[in-house]
Amino acid sequence: MPDQAHILVVEDSDIVASAMRVLVESAGHRVTTAASIADALGAARSDPADVVLLDLTLPDGDGLVLIEPLRAAGCRMFIALTGHDDQATRDRCLAAGCADVLVKPVPARELIARVAGWAEMS
Amino acid sequence: MSRTEIADEARRSPVSGDDPRLAALESQLKEAIVEIAELRARDALKTQFLANISHDLRTPLTAVITHAEILRDGILGDLSPRQMESVRGIISGGRQLLNQVGEILTYARGAANQLALVPTRFAIREVLEQVSGINEPLIKKKHLALSIEVVGDVPPLTADREKITHIIGNLLGNAIDFTPNGGRVWLRAERYAQRPDDTLCVEVGDTGVGIAPEHHDLIFREFAQVDATPSRPHHGTGLGLTIARKLVELHGGRIWVESELGRGSRFFFTVPLEQAAD
Repeated sequence: MPDQAHILVVEDSDIVASAMRVLVESAGHRVTTAASIADALGAARSDPADVVLLDLTLPDGDGLVLIEPLRAAGCRMFIALTGHDDQATRDRCLAAGCADVLVKPVPARELIARVAGWAEMS
Repeated sequence: MSRTEIADEARRSPVSGDDPRLAALESQLKEAIVEIAELRARDALKTQFLANISHDLRTPLTAVITHAEILRDGILGDLSPRQMESVRGIISGGRQLLNQVGEILTYARGAANQLALVPTRFAIREVLEQVSGINEPLIKKKHLALSIEVVGDVPPLTADREKITHIIGNLLGNAIDFTPNGGRVWLRAERYAQRPDDTLCVEVGDTGVGIAPEHHDLIFREFAQVDATPSRPHHGTGLGLTIARKLVELHGGRIWVESELGRGSRFFFTVPLEQAAD
């Protein structure tokens, strides 16, 4: 498995996305960001990611609808990032095919450690 | 004639079918019904606004906290000790704010009946230990003695574990806040084998400042704090007990307090051991 993984961050807030970029890059991985479902589809088709960090609330819909088309485009693993810390949301994400569900804000060090783990698994 | 005057007069001499006052009363009643419907609709809009705004506040807060953690963790280089102190202040303030925004969001969802139960089966002792673990730093800081007791043979209960944790967390948070250094706080669970339902009763008690009996109802009401002055020892949203009551009622249980000023407080809530299927 390559040491450097490609991580797609789907997040509509640019200030949150920029923090995610710093964290993922500091873990030694390559980052692409997308701010909407449309952006994410475009990005994944030209350059599929090993791991997709998926915000649930996107301006053009529910982030979970991306899982199927992004998988078809060659993306391998999906991690949901949500503001809702509740079982119903977690169940919905896992049922949709996410490998993990994290509640924002994920502590910086934890996110770096987890990204390393996913990159290895993907 | 005002609505109250008409009602008063109607009480004095009962209205019969052909009484001219009857038409006046009927029209007043219709107006009142319309007015109530309008107020309810406006209240629902305000609740929805509260839910939306609290949700929207989380995104910038997430950015503030994560960027500050990037600095704290030295990901962009080392900080001087004084820079580190400032950055820690940003994180700690941000996390406090995030908790309060979360409470407002839970309150607003509860008020709009948007909270659903996700029942699982678990042992109450696990939750009591989890909540005490989360609060351990504060308990130590105030040199409080905490005890956990599960009385007798309490079977696992079927309930929404997160919401039960939330209820006990809010009650224990208050107990810690309102108990002076060196006091006692306790968590106790007991089974009430009463008919027709098998019920679990949880008690959160403290040896703190206590609550005057005339305030026992007030404290469960929305946005109420008994002492609303800025110097009050507690700086929460004032929603902790309102949320606890809502979550207890969502389970079909009851919450109440036994307390006197200066003699500590004992909060109790009950939940059925099994949640009836919807």
